[in-house]
Amino acid sequence: MKQEGLKYFTDTHLTGMGLLIFFIFFVGVLFWVYRKSSTEIYHKMEQIPLQDGE
Amino acid sequence: MKTTGNLIEKIFYDDDIVKKFTLATMVWAGAAFLFGLIAALQLAYWPLNANLEWITFGRLRPLHTNAAIFAFAGNAIFAGIYHSSQRLLKTRMFSDLLSKMHFWGWQLIIVAAAITLPLGYSHGKEYAELEWPIDIAIAVVWVIFGLNFFMTIRQRREKHMYVAIWFYIATIITVAVLHIVNSIAIPVSFLHSYPVYAGIQDALVQWWYGHNAVAFFLTTPFLGLMYYYVPKAANRPVYSYRLSIVHFWALVFIYIWAGPHHLLYTSMPEWAQTLGMIFSVMLWAPSWGGMINGLLTLKGSWHLLKTEPLIKFFVAAITFYGMSTFEGPLLSIKSVNSLGHYTDWIIGHVHSGALGWNGFLGFGMIYFLVPRLWKTQLYSKKLLENHFWLGLTGILLYYISMVVAGITQGLMWRAIDGQGNLVYPDFVETVIRIVPLYWVRALGGLLFLIGFILMCYNIYKTIQLAPKAQEDKAVEVARSGYDEVGGTAHRKLEGMGFLFSVLAFLAIAVGSIIEIYPTLSLHKYVRPDSITDPYTPLELAGRDVYVKEGCYVCHSQQIRPIAAEVLRYGKPSTIEESMYDHPFQWGSKRTGPDLARVGKKYPNLWHYSHMVDPRAVTPKSIMPSYPWLAEKDADFLSLRKKLSVMKMVGVPYADDVVANADIHAQKQAQQIAADLEANGSPKGLEKKEIVALIAYLQALGQKGKAQ
Ligand code: HEC
Repeated sequence: MKQEGLKYFTDTHLTGMGLLIFFIFFVGVLFWVYRKSSTEIYHKMEQIPLQDGE
Repeated sequence: MKTTGNLIEKIFYDDDIVKKFTLATMVWAGAAFLFGLIAALQLAYWPLNANLEWITFGRLRPLHTNAAIFAFAGNAIFAGIYHSSQRLLKTRMFSDLLSKMHFWGWQLIIVAAAITLPLGYSHGKEYAELEWPIDIAIAVVWVIFGLNFFMTIRQRREKHMYVAIWFYIATIITVAVLHIVNSIAIPVSFLHSYPVYAGIQDALVQWWYGHNAVAFFLTTPFLGLMYYYVPKAANRPVYSYRLSIVHFWALVFIYIWAGPHHLLYTSMPEWAQTLGMIFSVMLWAPSWGGMINGLLTLKGSWHLLKTEPLIKFFVAAITFYGMSTFEGPLLSIKSVNSLGHYTDWIIGHVHSGALGWNGFLGFGMIYFLVPRLWKTQLYSKKLLENHFWLGLTGILLYYISMVVAGITQGLMWRAIDGQGNLVYPDFVETVIRIVPLYWVRALGGLLFLIGFILMCYNIYKTIQLAPKAQEDKAVEVARSGYDEVGGTAHRKLEGMGFLFSVLAFLAIAVGSIIEIYPTLSLHKYVRPDSITDPYTPLELAGRDVYVKEGCYVCHSQQIRPIAAEVLRYGKPSTIEESMYDHPFQWGSKRTGPDLARVGKKYPNLWHYSHMVDPRAVTPKSIMPSYPWLAEKDADFLSLRKKLSVMKMVGVPYADDVVANADIHAQKQAQQIAADLEANGSPKGLEKKEIVALIAYLQALGQKGKAQ
């Protein structure tokens, strides 16, 4: 059954590409977010909901 | 932090719109819960279908799901977004007029749904049942909402967009894409249309939509609300802002791929199934990251549970989020799915999400909002506590009974004895076994509803006792974050609403295109030697009755390549067998048996007796009776139009069949009516809907060349 399914599986390159794009992007996000230099800004960001002037 | 000249402005937030959406949330929640309870009772006790076509299970269930998702959750999301965005962006909504158009437009759509669904106007696709004029209205209102929201972002005073705003942006963009792509249909008449997609393609588009409706209507916006209201209620910032960003991007990227996990073991090409499974399992990590982030935000605030009991709703909601996002990936693993799919386990799963996560988060938010909006105190914290415990007990009863029912029935379906025969060949045996659990489920639903009624009373009293003079209070805001020097690319990106939206759009578009694109060339998957014949005009008329009555909410039409299933229903379904099905009717739940090969299984008269009163042939059946099908005339006149639309979307009807569709239908109807009469049915059925439906049922599984 698996073989039969794979017989029609002509678009492997598309799936592979998607996975690759996703993976690179994800590693990028991790790298981006966990840089030391961003500690300060995130500290500011997380306070936004608590300072709405009310 | 430097701010631009530290200029302090006095502005007014538009809280009137928030009040409106909050009250609408309450009203529609009541309707959604009540419909759900009645539907649950109908399964436990079939006479509650009352032989009334408008409230029969097949029509009530879509009403319940649409009310729960779009009316209750929808209004709750809007209330929260309008309230929190103004505060996070330090500005009033862009346009009061657009806000009002959004509000009234949405309520009008709900009313239209509440009228058309009971009348049987339906696309026949789950959570996308609404017919084309309403679909267009939804798209328009959504664009109004989006415009209002994005313009508000543009005129914001807070340069940095808090993560909740990101979740809202992803919601607005993705829901628009999903809704439009999945709803594309060619109208036949004012309230009837056929989707342009068929068979596996329709299945893939539908579940890409269906799954992402869960992801981007019931998850991302509620996560945005969680990231705002949980810190607010606990009065401390989110546990890890960094984690919330990773949570966001991982969800947006991964969710969009997971749809095919609704189609495991179907005739969907294997690669799409595997893709859906892998991405679903991957979802586990970011979802739990988000849950932990939410719960840990409350770390050190547990004492608040006593003084601010509404936080209990948040704690429970986040826990249910974790539970259902654990169970989801589990159910996407093929071996688990083969047992759980089509059973009540799935119903339990979605309700732990809908009642536990969406319901409780929504309730918590309303308890938080109402006293603040009406500038008063909550009437009774004691009632709130009672609501919480009643609701929680209700959800647990609901969930446990459904998981037990699902696993029990799933095991019964697949039980094979030593000789290789089914242990329970009679489907109805497996139904009777779980009916007691349907009562338990209904009890759970009832408790949940009673809790909600307590809430209504509590909120009503709160508003009633609020100060009568409700003056809008100005708040002082200052522009912030606009003049930071040396901002890195990173900073800039997070401050750029437009670019950010484009990125989020790309994230979902990549997944969507890669997944759906291959099935656009359906012909690649179809084997020329096993192409099927299209339905005859009468069968098509019958199929419309099938869709109209919502038979697909209880019956599947897709036999999986699993030994027990082949024994029970016949050969596995093929791609070709549904290649002309606009819409596909594979279904997702087997309250009754699969019908993919029911054709020729019984004589016509059996179907006649069964449809008019299922108990006449299957004594313990819980299927509703459909006596009106034997009374109402079938619509043969519109068949020419219907066939021509079908032809337009690629069904190969010969021109003379289209031109004489009604005559063809009448001929076939006379034959069936004559056969029925000869075997003892009443006279004169040839014009009735039931004859068309029987023609359709008898054609199921009979159209392939291989037959
Ligand atoms: C509430 C769920 C429910 C709905 C809605 C429902 N059915 Fe059923 N159906 C059942 C159950 C349960 C059975 C098994 C017991 C029986 O034979 O009546 C069944 C059995 C059947 C069978 C017999 C299948 C077999 O192989 O023996 C047919 C045919 C059928 N239903 C057609 C329909 C049609 C057509 C509709 C819509 C007009 C419909 N059903 C709506 C629950 C439902």
